Amino acid sequence: MDKNFFEQGFSTTRRRFLSTMGMGVGSVALGSLLMPDLFGGKNTDDNAFAPGIPHFAPKAKRVIYLFQNGAPSQQELFDYKPKLRELTGQEIPPSVRGTQRLTGMTSGQSTFPLVGSFVDFKQHGQSGAWVSDLLPYTAKIADELCFVKSIYTEAINHDPALTFLQTGAQQGNRPSMGSWLSYGLGSENKNLPAFTVLLSRGIGNGQGVYSKLWSNGFLDSVHQGVQFSKGEDPVLYIKDNDGIKRNERREMLDNLSELNSLSYNQFGDPEIATRIKQYEMAYRMQTAVPEVMDLSKEPDSIVNMYGPDCLVPGTFAANCLLARKLSEKGVRFVQLYHQGWDQHGNLPFEIASQAKDVDQASAALVMDLKQRGLLDETLVIWGGEFGRTSFTQGKLTKENYGRDHHPRCFTVWMAGGGIKPGITYGETDELGYNIIKDPVHVHDFQATVLNQLGLDHEKLIFKHLGRRYKLTDVSGKVVRDIIG
Amino acid sequence: MNNKLSVVARQALIVLNVFALFLLLFSKYIVLPFWMQPLGRMHPALLHFPIVVLILGVIMGLRRFAVNQQANTSFDGYARNLLLVGALLAGTTVIMGLFLSREEGYSGEVLVWHKWSGASIFFMSSAMYWINDKPWFKKAVAWSSGLVLIAVILFTGHYGGVLSHGENFIIQPILANIQKPLVPIEKAIVYDDIIYPIFSAKCASCHNLQKQKGELSFADSFSIKKGGKTGKLFVAGNPEISLLLQRVHLPMDDEKHMPPTNRAQLSPDEINLLGWWVKNQASFTQKVLELSPTDPLRQLASKMLKGPEAVEDNFDFSAADEKIVAKLNSDYRVILPVAKESPGLDVRIYNKDIYTVKQLEELGEIKNQVVSLSLAKLPVKNEDLNKVSMFENLRKLDINFTEVNTSGLAAISSLKYLNTLCLSGTKISSSGFKEVLGKFKNLATVTLWSTSLSAQEISQLQKTFKNINFVEGFVIDETAKLKLNPPQVKNKSLVFSSSIDVALFHPINGTEIRYTIDGTEPDSISSPVFNNSTDISKTTNVKAKAFKQGWYSSDVVEFSYLKNSFVPDSTTLLCQLNSRHLAEGANTFFNKKLGVIGANNPAWANYWAAVRDNDLILECIFKSPITLSSFGMHIMVEEVTGIYPPKTVEIWGGDNPKSLRLITKISPKQPEKEEKVSLKFVEGVFASRKVSYLKIVAKPTVNLNAKDKTKKNNYFILVDEMFLN
Repeated sequence: MDKNFFEQGFSTTRRRFLSTMGMGVGSVALGSLLMPDLFGGKNTDDNAFAPGIPHFAPKAKRVIYLFQNGAPSQQELFDYKPKLRELTGQEIPPSVRGTQRLTGMTSGQSTFPLVGSFVDFKQHGQSGAWVSDLLPYTAKIADELCFVKSIYTEAINHDPALTFLQTGAQQGNRPSMGSWLSYGLGSENKNLPAFTVLLSRGIGNGQGVYSKLWSNGFLDSVHQGVQFSKGEDPVLYIKDNDGIKRNERREMLDNLSELNSLSYNQFGDPEIATRIKQYEMAYRMQTAVPEVMDLSKEPDSIVNMYGPDCLVPGTFAANCLLARKLSEKGVRFVQLYHQGWDQHGNLPFEIASQAKDVDQASAALVMDLKQRGLLDETLVIWGGEFGRTSFTQGKLTKENYGRDHHPRCFTVWMAGGGIKPGITYGETDELGYNIIKDPVHVHDFQATVLNQLGLDHEKLIFKHLGRRYKLTDVSGKVVRDIIG
Repeated sequence: MNNKLSVVARQALIVLNVFALFLLLFSKYIVLPFWMQPLGRMHPALLHFPIVVLILGVIMGLRRFAVNQQANTSFDGYARNLLLVGALLAGTTVIMGLFLSREEGYSGEVLVWHKWSGASIFFMSSAMYWINDKPWFKKAVAWSSGLVLIAVILFTGHYGGVLSHGENFIIQPILANIQKPLVPIEKAIVYDDIIYPIFSAKCASCHNLQKQKGELSFADSFSIKKGGKTGKLFVAGNPEISLLLQRVHLPMDDEKHMPPTNRAQLSPDEINLLGWWVKNQASFTQKVLELSPTDPLRQLASKMLKGPEAVEDNFDFSAADEKIVAKLNSDYRVILPVAKESPGLDVRIYNKDIYTVKQLEELGEIKNQVVSLSLAKLPVKNEDLNKVSMFENLRKLDINFTEVNTSGLAAISSLKYLNTLCLSGTKISSSGFKEVLGKFKNLATVTLWSTSLSAQEISQLQKTFKNINFVEGFVIDETAKLKLNPPQVKNKSLVFSSSIDVALFHPINGTEIRYTIDGTEPDSISSPVFNNSTDISKTTNVKAKAFKQGWYSSDVVEFSYLKNSFVPDSTTLLCQLNSRHLAEGANTFFNKKLGVIGANNPAWANYWAAVRDNDLILECIFKSPITLSSFGMHIMVEEVTGIYPPKTVEIWGGDNPKSLRLITKISPKQPEKEEKVSLKFVEGVFASRKVSYLKIVAKPTVNLNAKDKTKKNNYFILVDEMFLN
């Protein structure tokens, strides 16, 4: 008995002891949050943060992020610049280019001729938003969208820029946006992970996406993104091995959980408790996942809406349809990546094919949510990690050109989730190179997304290695003007 | 004060009185020479002296009427002289003030009050001085006249302050802090709610009816349209030539810049608002919502107005017991608080196999707190809605794709806060729907997609219920025929050893796949329909196309089924692979894994082994001899990026490494300039022979156009699989 006591005493580290204390205090705080009247008075301590509860009444409950990996060119899709077309072939004025650093891919170029979009633009909807002819379906729903044309980032290469958008820092090792939401809001459905990831790729020049992008970083591992892949085994290792019956699995888990509980009581490591929870969730996912992934029961009207590719696993259209199904089931954050937008060369051909991959399904997703009455509580985001240059990369010919990475401006659209529909926010100059009105930093964008989910980005904090970490690091302000 | 001085002072007082009276009566006819203007402008500086001196004089003069006070001649004389000095100062101040009032920009009611009350201070104080030593100047007279004088001084001072600093100058900081209720955007009028507040905050303190600097007033729309001394304020539609904006945009150090340097300046947004307002014809009646949503004026204006849906829901019920909430939470029923400090609860129930009405009944303990309930896709029946009706504070109910029909809705029509009702995919029908909808008090959104209601019926409903937004299904284009995507293949690998069942399929139900194996294009008439009974036993190109009624047929897709009869017992590379394309090394070539187009795609790159600076040399050993009659190699060709077929492929064979003979040498066709990227099959056929040892040597093509002739400038060879038959 004494021996046990000492063992437990010795194996509890100072840090663990303190964090357990914290949990005790935290659960009292939680109680008072659930019941504001618990302590008789109004709870005025704004700093008391309880994970799993929004700070204020949220507009959106869930996010679907249609990430266009590789950085789609804003000049060919949303940011209409007739002047740039006029000046095609002329050198970019140094006053416009300023001191913008270049990537290794264009730094050796001796000239930087401007190039306008090869494709025409038209105004659409009551809002009169400019959308390129490459996106006919998106154009049809322009009145549902909020185009932010003035988002800018600090990074100039794919991986850091992608990591920056997803985690608020360029270096990696921080929790992803979806993990922060899972931490901040908890799960709405205990049978599916709160943060799921779906990948697809087009034929355009691709850039890698790595699992660090959906990492939980220093947050508890229940918050990490779970990748759903195409094929027979959407979630790896979740299927029972051949010959194992469901009741046997149950029995096995019960016994395992008993052992783990013993171990938890002995060592008190919170990761053991997490593991018990995850095994249980995986067990429930065994029935929940096949149901979600089964697209065969979707009616023809849905297939028509998303386009025939939506029944081909692994396509962007199928992932959009899946995203809707997951979101409908209460998955907080569905992260899609569509690769192939890195048009350094051969842009006209590649971007047309990329646009075709995503256009119909993106529009369908927004409208599908709307017709279910879910758009007002689901925030849909569409965009890449940075923009593309107004000058050409490589040879400029009549039919062909390319564009290099450009961090100074790019366009992202958002829909639903309390974002004002049918508006365009921010503006770039006539050449689409610099922002001239209402710049939105990546941290501002993240702060806005958190705000829509009822989270104050300055209060969604996790203390790790002595520092208080936030998704928005040390900056970011909510862009109030795009909030309905 | 010595006598001589006091005589002069008394005479000066008489002169000042006459002069002031003259100025007051004939001010209209007086033209002030410019050099006297500074005198007038000293009015605000001097005025403080008479105030202090007169008040002091009055109070000191009262001393002699106090009881138990001994007469003190020198003190009383002192008080009397103070009164004299005060009256003289008052006179000077009045005259200066009258000069100042002749300058432009002062007029109106406040000025009149200030002028006459100021003058009366002077006349009253003079009179008090003269009657001060009269025998009837007793306590009562002294007190009352003294108090009246002080009151008039305060009164005058106040009006003077209003003239120079504007109304409510003192309490302005407090007033500014009291937040004005934001006007909701639906009701806002551009001029009244956006433009006028700017004028009144930043311009009207100098340009009002009282103090019309430059003969300009911002008091009302009439004066604004009238403009000032220099001309009209604006030319509607032309901000560039409008005086209002010119003055605002002048540099700060320009004398004519408005507002003046020491006053509160306009913010950039305010300047833009004024500009866009003038550009939009400077209407005084236009509503904000009449502007197009992209109009910058509307966008700027909406920043200052309350958004249409900003009405916060304040729940006035108490929170539920935390323990009960925790108890009711289960794996398939999630109950979450709406937000921190909010008593409202958000409930979602999942899993159609587990759902029973009991799950709703159990929520009785928190029936007051449930504000949002999602039962979508559960087998919820009409009767179950009777249970839902107990959630009297419910705001949103999602019963999409449940078994509910129209008659079930009556049960929940009593929910007086219910504003969003999701009925998509339910069994509701038009009969009786209108009647039951009429019973709901507060509905704002109803989704009706995928119900039996036709578009026409929904638009009828929309006409009847103007306050409800009915959400229909989204139809991109009813007439548009879509194109089928091409058929796909289910075979795990297209590489086989003796024979393979072709497994084509199409994800869309009811699609017909037609195919050919002879290289011709499949069509909808003569090509065979695929029915899962195609078995092939040699390398074959299968071309397939999908057809379905009501759809455009798909593009033709081609699948290469590749036969490889012999897998070597061991393979060894006798060269180095390019470091970026290592694939699985020596095991790459017979692992049945085919690469796809896109050499740099990380996930796929692994299937492609590549060489550039050296030959690809692969050694294959068979434990028992094989009879070989052909060699094949699957490669990628992308001319633009310098991925070419090998220049030559040599196949050496024999019984052992020492007795190798050249079996065949293949020279693949080289690509055209800018040829499209493709996957190719390189093949050599020869008289069959027995070998147990093979050496395959593929030599890269030399780039003859390379700029740097000193370096090796070969093209890449990318190989994923080889075939021995």
